Order: sequence, then structure tokens, then C-alpha cells
Amino acid sequence: MITFNSSYEELFYQSLRIRLVEQKIIELYPSDKIQSPVHLSIGQESVAVTLCSQLRDDDWVFINYRGHAFYLAKKGPMPELFAELFGKRTGLSKGKAGSMHLADPKHGLMGSSAVVGSTISHAVGAALASKIRGEKRVFVAVFGDGATEQGVYHESLNFASLHKLPILFLCENNGLAVHASLAERQSYNLLAHARSYGIESTLIEESYNFTELSDFFSLSIEKIREHSLPLLVEVKTCRYKEHVGTSDDFQAGYRSIKEVRDWQLKDPLINDKTLIDKFIPFIQKEIDMAVIFAEESPFPTIDDLLTDIF
Amino acid sequence: MEPLKLKYREALTEAMAKAMRKPNTLLIGQGVTDYKGIWGTTLGLAEKYPDRVIEAPLSEDAIAGVCLGASLNGMYPINTHIRVDFSLLIFNQLINLIAKYKYMFGGLFEIPMMFRLVIGRSWGQGAQHSQSLQSLLAHIPGLVVIMPSNSQSILESYDYALNHYRGPVVMLEHRLMYELEFEQKNENNHPFETRIDRKGSDITIIATSVMVLEVRRACDYLEKFGIYPEIIDLHSISHPNRELIFNSVKKTGRLLVADTSWLPYGVAAEMSRIISERDPSILKKPIKSLGMAYAPCPTAKVLEDMYYPDVHDLVLSVLELTDKNATQKIPIPIKTPMTDFYKHFKGPF
Repeated sequence: MITFNSSYEELFYQSLRIRLVEQKIIELYPSDKIQSPVHLSIGQESVAVTLCSQLRDDDWVFINYRGHAFYLAKKGPMPELFAELFGKRTGLSKGKAGSMHLADPKHGLMGSSAVVGSTISHAVGAALASKIRGEKRVFVAVFGDGATEQGVYHESLNFASLHKLPILFLCENNGLAVHASLAERQSYNLLAHARSYGIESTLIEESYNFTELSDFFSLSIEKIREHSLPLLVEVKTCRYKEHVGTSDDFQAGYRSIKEVRDWQLKDPLINDKTLIDKFIPFIQKEIDMAVIFAEESPFPTIDDLLTDIF
Repeated sequence: MEPLKLKYREALTEAMAKAMRKPNTLLIGQGVTDYKGIWGTTLGLAEKYPDRVIEAPLSEDAIAGVCLGASLNGMYPINTHIRVDFSLLIFNQLINLIAKYKYMFGGLFEIPMMFRLVIGRSWGQGAQHSQSLQSLLAHIPGLVVIMPSNSQSILESYDYALNHYRGPVVMLEHRLMYELEFEQKNENNHPFETRIDRKGSDITIIATSVMVLEVRRACDYLEKFGIYPEIIDLHSISHPNRELIFNSVKKTGRLLVADTSWLPYGVAAEMSRIISERDPSILKKPIKSLGMAYAPCPTAKVLEDMYYPDVHDLVLSVLELTDKNATQKIPIPIKTPMTDFYKHFKGPF
């Protein structure tokens, strides 16, 4: 039985769990058992974990293709995750989703899309429905810095502010859209821009500070729930790996290795050896069981090909 | 007793009023709350249901996504677009998300919702107020695409979409029919299915939307030649009743398709596929098809009149397919645009 001596420990545990799952994915990837483009969250786990620690199951989250962290943080089951990645019938989406379209409605993970920015408006619409019914639920749209360049992002901020919808716009800013830097892409200041729609906006610089981030989300979620209004938070993160795939790509020259190394110096999942040693055995066991479940699960059949269309 | 008559617009108004009586219906689009109310079809609803009838900002993309999210959260969204052309701004949501939301997640989600898209025609609607994109939409697995050709079809299919179908439906309404009256008769058609509009024996004519009316006019005229076509109202573009179509063509041996859109890769091509892949030997003559000229729609009336097929073209095509010739005693009808004939649509929109 795992025991946590503080909420920090629990957040650490959940984050480490995600990192180790993704490291397992890296290990398995050359075997071609996972035939799905994977966009790894390594370096960004804390955002998903701290946010979801403050949400209820009926608070809904809408994410993008970099979704392993949110799936696990929102209590998505691990064996079914590996099964989904392996293209097995026992994945929550029967293998039809793969890595890029994770969802678990039972726990409020309501879908993910590989088209940048395309789920932001879904969170807005779900929030509208709850507002109409007078419920006190919170909806979260998760997106990267690149998504804020899409027209639909602006349209969504406007509509959410106009109708005072209970939604958190959460931007995971890793400074990169595939390989393009922020400076090449954006003429605006994200916070100032959101404020021009009347949306209170905050920047969090240190997403590796689990407790600070979790406290911030706690206050934000409560405020949204009580007052039914949109908030925006931009969290600086660091994507350790390449945009898609399992490798490092510093040799490509489009990003600075120093920035990543500096970040890693502050990353508890690398530096807090005591907690890592404490939790690794539990997590490894869970991962091994999950992989075995996926391995032993059946593939979908011709009977699954034409179901779920209409 | 005189059969009950109802305008296409009145049927839409009734369908919307009925829809809003359900507590989870959400009506959203540009103009749904204004004093014109989508040609009257949404008038008064915003006052009655202020929380659930929402004027949309000019943000088609986001609003389609809002509909998806609202549907996931228990609402039945109806999203209006006063021209099909404007709905092209929602095609990312429609094709990448809405059509795939059930399949992509392995059946975890159902997203019942309706899009009302209005096809424009005449009075200089031009290139961006006139497109009829049914085949583009029906190409995508996951979407039900319906083109109601009369008031009864509207009442039945909108009710079915709202109360019985658990996925996204695109209703392609035709502006030319809004002010036309239709006899209300319940013929027990399945609300989402292809139907026989008129029984006949000499040739099968498959028509969509407003072309069903034009084909009827042509068929009335063809009686002078002793020709009795079977008219099929395709109605469901995404799910044509292949059996019904094949059996009709097997009976008549001849097929003419009259669509509201362009021919290449379109409805006519799909109808031909139904026959040619199953048994082309049932055809006594090659298939013919009529649709918009393969160009963007011109604005000038004289050009527009040439752009759309009419009774003249239909009669000529049927005569050719049935090996009958025009005689001096029975002339071919001269080209008359539908709008001139019905004299109901005088613009501007």
C-alpha cells in the first residue's frame, strides 16, 4: 500500500507515474507494438496532475493529441491506455483512438483532437449547457501555445466571456509549435490579449513547483465554480522530447539544449531521488501489469470496423 | 375535403417550435433572435426561451464546436446557416470532429445535433450564396444528410432527427421552396429514407430537393407524349435506398438523375455507381444526368437562367432516353427558370 506524507508527495507520485509510463512507451516503441504517433508529455506532467487534483469527475477536460498525461491524471485506467496504444479491443476506444484521441467520459476526459485548437470550443459548449441548467461544474480547455494562433481560440474566448461561462482556458506554453519558436509565430502577448476580452489571466512560470501550481488551480477552480466566469492561465512548460516520436532532437538545431538542461535541474522528477526510490517499485509493478494486460488482449475484428459510425 | 396545405417555411417554423418545447434544445445561429428570424422560422422563440435561443457571433467555427460540446453535455443543438456557403467555415468541426466523434472514440460518445443549411438560388445569389454541397457532405462517413423537398418531409424528418436519431444530421433546406405550399399527406415514408414520389413505368427520374418539383412539372408535360416516368425523391443523400433505386431502374430500364448541384463526383455519379456496380445490363440506354453547369454560379440573370436545368432540359432528356421525338404537334417547353414559374422568390435574399 502506498502512503503519502504530504499532498506534495501525492502530486509527485502521480507525475512520476506518468513519466514512467511514457518511458515505458519509449522502451516499447522500437518493437512496433505501438503503431500510433505518440506526442510525449515528458517534462510537462505536473500541469495535468496539479489541475486534475482539483477537479471532480463531473468537471470536464478537453485536451489535444499530447494527451497521455491528462488521461492518467484524470484517472483514466492504465491497462486500457496501453491496450489502446497497442490497438487492442480492450482499449477504452477499442483501438480506434490510439494515442492521439484519448478519452474517458466516466472520469470527465471528454475527448482529444489531433487538429490544433479544435477542442477549445467544445469545452465552451459544454460549459454553456451546464450554465443553462444552473449547475456548478467547471470545464477546462487545454491547449498549447500554438493553438492560440487559431481563429477559433479568439472566437472561443469571446463567446465564453460574453456568456460568462464556467471555463478555465489552460495554455501549456512549451514555446514550440512542432519546431517553430514563439518568436517566429506570435505578435501578441497572450495575457494582454485574453484580458482584452475581459478574462482574468495569469502566468505561472514554474510548472515544476507542484504545490504552487496545485494551490493556484485550487483557487481558480473554486472561483470559476462559484462565480461562473472564464479564467485563463498560461503555464510555462518544457517539452523534453521531439514534437512527435520518442527521441531527443537537440541535434536538429532548432532549440537550445541549455534551456532544457536548466529546466531539468529544477525538475523534481529527476532530482528528488528519495521520492523516486520510494515510489518506483509500486509504479513499475503497475506498469508491468498494464503492459501484460495489453499484450494479452485481443485485437479488434472485422465486426468492429463498421460499428460506431452513425 | 380539401387536403391540408402548408408552406415549407411554415413547416420549418412548426418544426422549430416543436423542437424548442423539449427542454434540452439549444437553437444557435446568426439571426435566430433578430426581427427576421431566419425567414420567420425562429420568430418569437428567443422571447419564449431566452436561455436556449442564442444569437451567434460571426464565429462559425467556434459555434459548431460549442454545439458539439453542448451536445456532449446533454443538449440538442440546432445550428443555423442562412446559406450553405457560410457553413464552409464549420467544415473543420463538421468533418474532423462532429462526423468522427462517435467512431474515433470507439463509441464512447454520441452527439445528437442538427445543422440547418439553406441553399440559395436566383435573384443574383451569385457564386457564394448558391452552393449546394450535399455530395461533399455525404462523402463523409458519420453525417446524415437530408434534403427535404416538401413540408411533410420537414415535419417528419426534423422530428425524427430530434427525437429518435442519436447523431449529427445536416438538413439542406432550399430557399426557393420557402414560400411554396405543399399538400400535407402522410405516406408512411421512413423520415430518413428515399421515397417514390410518383409511380411510373417508362423511365426512372431520381431528383433532389427543389428538383423534385421541376421533375414533377416535366412529368406532367410528358403525359402529352404518353410517357409516364417514375419519380424518386432521393431525400436522404447520405443513405440512399439502393434497393428501391435499383428495383425502379430494373423495372423502367432507363435512368435520369436531376440534382441541385454539380455533376462531377456528385449525386448523379453515386446513383450511377449503384446501378453499374450491381448490374448495368438492366439499362436499356446509358444514364443521363442534369445539374448545375460546372462553373461557379454567375450573378447575371441571363447567365443564371442558363446555369440551372429546367423543364425544357428535363423533357428533352426524357424524350431522348425513351426514344421519343418531339413532334410539331407537341412542342418542347421553352426554357423558363423555376423562379419565373413560381413567382414566389423576388429577392433580395
